Amino acid sequence: MAVSLSKGGNVSLSKEAPGLTEVVVGLAWDARSTDGAEFDLDASVFVVGESGKVLNDGSFIFYNNKKSPCGNVEHMGDNRSGAGDGDDEQVNVKLSGLAADVKRLVFAVTIHEAEARKQSFGQVSNAAIRVLNKADGKELARFDLSEDSALETAMVFGELYRNGDEWKFKAIGQGFAGGLGPLASSYGVNLG
Amino acid sequence: MALSLQKGGNLSLDKVAPGLVEIMVGLGWDPRATDGAEFDLDASAFMLGANGKVTAESDFIFYNQKESVCKSVIHTGDNRTGAGDGDDESLVINLPKVPAHVEKIVFTVTIHDADARRQNFGQVGGAFIRVVNQQGGAELVRFDLAEDYATETAMEFAELYRHGGEWKFRAVGQGYAGGLKAMCARYGLNL
Repeated sequence: MAVSLSKGGNVSLSKEAPGLTEVVVGLAWDARSTDGAEFDLDASVFVVGESGKVLNDGSFIFYNNKKSPCGNVEHMGDNRSGAGDGDDEQVNVKLSGLAADVKRLVFAVTIHEAEARKQSFGQVSNAAIRVLNKADGKELARFDLSEDSALETAMVFGELYRNGDEWKFKAIGQGFAGGLGPLASSYGVNLG
Repeated sequence: MALSLQKGGNLSLDKVAPGLVEIMVGLGWDPRATDGAEFDLDASAFMLGANGKVTAESDFIFYNQKESVCKSVIHTGDNRTGAGDGDDESLVINLPKVPAHVEKIVFTVTIHDADARRQNFGQVGGAFIRVVNQQGGAELVRFDLAEDYATETAMEFAELYRHGGEWKFRAVGQGYAGGLKAMCARYGLNL
């Protein structure tokens, strides 16, 4: 049963899905029906080590860097308008394949060109981000962006982190001013 | 004390006014153009189900269909020039009377005869929507439209919606270059 999170909520994946090995992070939203620039939401993942920063530049997975060097984190493609049913963007994560120095996976969602387009999550209909257990397709956690991040343009959804042998999910649901660039920099990504 | 919402922002009406029963949703604007045809802006409301569409034509409340069947949404009358200060047009909503299948009420404004008169929202200034508690008259929330919607002739100002057992209000401020026709089509009404 999916836990629907509001800001600051929490879920223990180990309780929801013992033995979890692979997750899909799904981002969905409705395409714009009103006039104006498309809503282009982007999912991304930071593969983070002990230092709290990405292990290397390749560990920032987003629409322009779809596969991690180890191949265990894969972004399935950029959706620029939200057209289509179901998840509009998905990132696949094979937890069981990740090296020992991977301590956390941080999931973020940003609005492309939010400032120029003067957009925020509250203007987008039915925007949500969720974590699914790949094995059975069950939704483990979900965050309603349209409702609970209304004035944000970039948001850290949550993180998967190691706890001994297990992976747990901590919901963060915190907005981040400035967009994907500054967000990436804060995790130590060198943007060229 | 009214909260001023930003575009996209939302607010729980039940939280700011516990026990809220009846509200007045007021829409106002100052037409800027002075010569040419009158600016006749029309406020209306779409009562939508879970699928985001109306269930029947009677769910579209406007100057020629002023009361919803359930009488929970009542349009108080047509203002054809924008004359007068404060709210130019308003709708009164009795929240407990809104039928259970209605998940959302969208408040919209259209420019009457926009195409023929060559008018658009870019020519309209000072547009706002506000919610007043009919009991006591306190203004609960307000949304001032700040942008210049120069290509739009039909606008969604805001929406009243159910969420987690409460009534909430969201500032929308998004329009349709395709006008009333496009907006109605979006909500399942074929004009």
